[in-house]
Amino acid sequence: MRTLIGIDVGGTFTDFVAYDHDTRAIDVWKELSVPVDPVLGILRGLEQHPERGAIANIRIGTTVATNALLERKGATVAYVTTRGFRDVPFIQRGNRKSHYDMSWIKPKPLVERWRCFEVDERVDAYGRILMPLDESALRDIAAEIGRDPEIRAVAVCFLFSYLNPAHEQRAREILAAVLPDKAVSISYEVLPKWKEYERASTTIADAYLKPVVSRQLATMRDRLDAAGILAPAVVIKSNGGEMTFARAVESPVNMLVSGPTGGVIAARHVASLSGIRQLVTLDMGGTSTDVSTVLDGRESFTTTFEIEWGLPIQIPMVDVRTIGAGGGSIAWIDKGGMLRVGPESAGAVPGPACYGKGGQRATVTDANLLLGRLDPGNFLGGRMRLDPAAARTAIEEVAAALRQPVDATAMAIVRIANNNMVGALRSVLIERGLDPRDFTLCAFGGAGPLHASELIAEMGIPRALIPNHPGQFSAYGFIMTNPRVDRQRTTQTTSTRFDPERVTEVMETLVAEGMTELFEQGYTADIEVYRSLEMRYLGQNYELELPIGADALKVDRVERLWDSFHEAHLARFGFKTPGEIIEIVTYTATLTARSKSPAPPAIAPADGAAVPAGRRRVGFPAGPCDGVAVFERAALRAGHTIEGPAIIEEAASVTIVNPGQRVSIDTFGQIILEAGSH
Amino acid sequence: MRFSENGYYIERYVKCANCGLLIYGPGIAGARHGKSALYCSEWCVEWARLADSGASDIRLKIVPTKLPIETGYQLPPRDGPPDMVMMNILDSTMVSICREMGILLMKTSYSTIFNEGLDFTCALADPKGDMIACAEFCPTMIGGMPILIKSCAQEIDFSTLEEGDVIIHNDPYRGGLHVPEHTLFKPFFVDGALLGFAVCIGHIAEIGGTVPGAFCGEATEIFHEGLRVPPVKIIKAGRDVEEVWKVLLANVRTPRQNYGDLRAMIGAVDLGVGRISAIVRKYGTAIFRRTCEDLMDYSERRMRAELAEFPDGTYSFQDTIENDGIENRPYIVAVDMHVQGDEVVADFSRSSPQAKGPISATLGVTTGATYNGLLHLTDPTIPKNSGCFRPIRVVAPPGRVTNVDYPGPLVAGNTETHPRLACIVIGAMAASVPERVMASESCTGTNFVFGGNHPDYGEYFACYDIMSGGWGGRFGADGNNCVISINGNCRFNPTEVFETRFPLRVENCALIPDSGGAGEWRGGLGFQRTLLVTEVPITGSQCSDHHEVKPWALFGAEPGGNGATFIRKAGDSRWLTVKELYGKVSSSKYSNVQFAPGDRILLLTPGGGGYGDPHARARERVAEDLRAGFISAEAAERLYGYVS
Repeated sequence: MRTLIGIDVGGTFTDFVAYDHDTRAIDVWKELSVPVDPVLGILRGLEQHPERGAIANIRIGTTVATNALLERKGATVAYVTTRGFRDVPFIQRGNRKSHYDMSWIKPKPLVERWRCFEVDERVDAYGRILMPLDESALRDIAAEIGRDPEIRAVAVCFLFSYLNPAHEQRAREILAAVLPDKAVSISYEVLPKWKEYERASTTIADAYLKPVVSRQLATMRDRLDAAGILAPAVVIKSNGGEMTFARAVESPVNMLVSGPTGGVIAARHVASLSGIRQLVTLDMGGTSTDVSTVLDGRESFTTTFEIEWGLPIQIPMVDVRTIGAGGGSIAWIDKGGMLRVGPESAGAVPGPACYGKGGQRATVTDANLLLGRLDPGNFLGGRMRLDPAAARTAIEEVAAALRQPVDATAMAIVRIANNNMVGALRSVLIERGLDPRDFTLCAFGGAGPLHASELIAEMGIPRALIPNHPGQFSAYGFIMTNPRVDRQRTTQTTSTRFDPERVTEVMETLVAEGMTELFEQGYTADIEVYRSLEMRYLGQNYELELPIGADALKVDRVERLWDSFHEAHLARFGFKTPGEIIEIVTYTATLTARSKSPAPPAIAPADGAAVPAGRRRVGFPAGPCDGVAVFERAALRAGHTIEGPAIIEEAASVTIVNPGQRVSIDTFGQIILEAGSH
Repeated sequence: MRFSENGYYIERYVKCANCGLLIYGPGIAGARHGKSALYCSEWCVEWARLADSGASDIRLKIVPTKLPIETGYQLPPRDGPPDMVMMNILDSTMVSICREMGILLMKTSYSTIFNEGLDFTCALADPKGDMIACAEFCPTMIGGMPILIKSCAQEIDFSTLEEGDVIIHNDPYRGGLHVPEHTLFKPFFVDGALLGFAVCIGHIAEIGGTVPGAFCGEATEIFHEGLRVPPVKIIKAGRDVEEVWKVLLANVRTPRQNYGDLRAMIGAVDLGVGRISAIVRKYGTAIFRRTCEDLMDYSERRMRAELAEFPDGTYSFQDTIENDGIENRPYIVAVDMHVQGDEVVADFSRSSPQAKGPISATLGVTTGATYNGLLHLTDPTIPKNSGCFRPIRVVAPPGRVTNVDYPGPLVAGNTETHPRLACIVIGAMAASVPERVMASESCTGTNFVFGGNHPDYGEYFACYDIMSGGWGGRFGADGNNCVISINGNCRFNPTEVFETRFPLRVENCALIPDSGGAGEWRGGLGFQRTLLVTEVPITGSQCSDHHEVKPWALFGAEPGGNGATFIRKAGDSRWLTVKELYGKVSSSKYSNVQFAPGDRILLLTPGGGGYGDPHARARERVAEDLRAGFISAEAAERLYGYVS
């Protein structure tokens, strides 16, 4: 009677994972997505669940907010700001997307200039009020906004509101009173951090999304109820936490990166079962690949996200980096005769040449098929037959231009695709000062397991973990999320002028705000508090995040705090400046209501060696091998070991094992791939 | 020991009378304009002969001048065709290393021009000084880098370098761009062999000299522009050379900040060397060296294919710099682009003699600007390395605004003259490829610099903040509003950062209606910012332009709006220029004006020129501009013939 359901709404499929708390049984299925009506796909999928009455909770990763932004289908917004600064969203920061590209068009903000308003008010860089808010002028502005029937929401961003929110809070009261039917977002609540353009852009996006998200979530609730599914439903936030529909409507900008977080949470969870705490995740699908990290058992977070280049949304989110490389990435020859792979993708339609749906151009999937890494008769569990002749024709065309043999060309395509992914892995590991040798690669998505073997060899990562259900892994993650709130605030403090009482108050206010937010959503027990500071040397403009204990800001502990910053700077950037003034810029409190995580069932232990289901010739970077053993994943048992070269096939994916590598199956049926000396 | 007229220590160097490159060795003696002259190569002798003969359409296949460091370099042997997969992998890995260096620099540096402005670039070079990869940061430095490293090789014998050495250099007369631009480079060795350098070039805001912030609008000598540092080791075999640090920090107004910036730059080259050494070890020295050559050949091939698409011919263009801050008279920058097959020679010989004030450009700047202009007209995906530049030859005789001779001042050459030069290269090609070009952009960083004593920290502060103006109209698109000029890819400071760092208040940040030149494709808008001096007095200087001359238009459009600087003294209601208030020669170039608490400085940036007849502009676009307030009703009627 206690089934938890995770739902991931994707472009092609909506994935479902059901977990029964009593039996620990996990059920996984897919339903075609309905892009024009995503709720329909959800309802159809839920209909397939045998015991709808037993559903205790539904967690949904949704692209409602993301699509509204990317397709620019949000609400018409008005923008209110400090006198003199209404053009900040248009002026932006002055830089451009790429050098030398004269065709570039600067991104348009989500608000029209004629709907931007200025009001007299001013707070200074110390948080002092220089000029009071002109309330009567604001009422006039509100009245003018009220006369524009298209406007559905209002965004407010005043200078230095992160230091003193009084004017923004008062503005919200006035706007709410004059315009009761319009949504209002104030920057202090959306993003109380410095840099007015970034904060304004984020606040405008929040207002832009509110009416749309509010309408869609209300509809979704009504339709779930009408379908007899009365279980509470929550949505997944970009920070990997969950929030109630009511809360989501209040801050829709927090739902932007809802779906991709699931895979990272799931990866953290399954890795922790094996005691793995340093993890890099790779979710490779047809058109794109998401990469993220788990450090010391904790997901990595970022606040840098852009709707498109130059339109920032700086909310806390799981640090998932996406590159345009996947199985459908197209191989092509550039003007200088160089072989390139992607970013253009054949997508699901027409798809790779071997899909036989009209695609003519060679893709990574075609190369994998030609090299024997995919079985044409056993793709997607045999639901789709691949056409090797079409793949060969497509790759022959590339090979002719390169004047290389076809097999060598196919391997070159795979190696360049791998190199694109190595670039993404470098960006989350080496470029952040992390040593790949300390990590495990968790590879999932349809194509992740196919490339993991070579990626760990190329990166010097000692092992890969291929979890169960690699094709529905995000939805799987959603059954493991916890409610989570991040509260951040910018307040400049320096090591030379440090007031322990004041900074403690700032931090504890954030904690209290987070508690309130969780209480309001009904979570009162087992709340875990994580505090951190963003610090830098005075004069620098970017910060290092340092986790701190509850009493780190006390007067007798503070020397230790400064020391730990010097050490963190040395570790991250390779040098430190002892004696330099240190500045604390941002205070962060993260609160998580811990619930008991589901534990997957153990699988049967092996009795005897694993038996291959077949053998075939397979291409590897070191050269082709004949008679490579092909195993069925479903037939593998806990404790089985397999020496490479080998291939392990399952419905949603294929795991490649290069010569010299070794695989073992753990208690839960997960594939552990060791790099060996390859 | 001898001292040369252009500042070199021990050796005497002179410039080629034709192309303006420094000549190492005897050179080729000849005569020009009735005087004896030296040439760097037979190619230059011939080019000068043809040019002086009055030939209008000169054709002469490029023969690159080999510097001593290049002639002594053994190219790696080739065994078989280039490995395309290796090239792809190495190029993306090296660009990623350069990007990582830049991110470290951004995150750890102190000057706002670094960390918010991103006024720096990071690159990798081979032992002969050729750039093998760079990340997308500041274009002016990308184009200038090869000359810079090759020039250093004439003074430091690279064979004596040790592991852990870091060289610092900022001398514009030794291949540099202007004095604030500091180059740090560190050699990397594998198995004892020098394989190249990690390089970072960045703008350090305060470097001593006449004014806080280096932009001395009234400089008449290089010495007014700050401390000049020839190539010296700041770190030797991994240890700080304290004597050098002391000299560097004793000569600037903001030693704490400069220390932080230099440490950040050292951190960046350390990181680059660590990363690239690991990559070389992974693939092996022979493959690495061979692949770097293949990559440069590849970029050369791509660039030649692009240049071959331009119809052959000689295309000329010129622009006017309004004054040099010293005398109230204009200077001409002019280019003749000789397109011949898959090569281009950019000849700047018709430019004015060098100015007394700081507007002249070094050869490094002129060369970088030529590359910059051409890169804007060609495929942006060509990997940026020295190979791109092989089919391009710059001719810039010495003693002109396009190749300044010692000891002329030049700080604005890199920020103001560079974009002018890049834009005339683009403008010249309008006659050849009209669908690829853009009208003049704002071409100025505005460059208002100031310093004073910070009331909170009890130390001196100096600020260089850049401002953005309009792009020119283009075929099929309006100019973008408020983009940093073409020589940089910087960001300006948010007001909240600005006021937190400096004791000033920003009163507005607003687009300037009607500043974009009217056209079928309108120029982008400039913007204005008003600074209020609050608690402490400040000293301000500026090096800008386009206060009197307007950004040019193309094909019957209107030019962009002028920039301006106005001052309103405390208690006064009038907005006046520094000419009116302080008797300065130029409103755009001046030095050391004292501003008291309560004074206001209003800075306006230029808009871009338009493209095509304004009357041909789609009516709905005019209506939209009017509704957004980008143009006034008066301008709509007068310039576009539009009545709503």
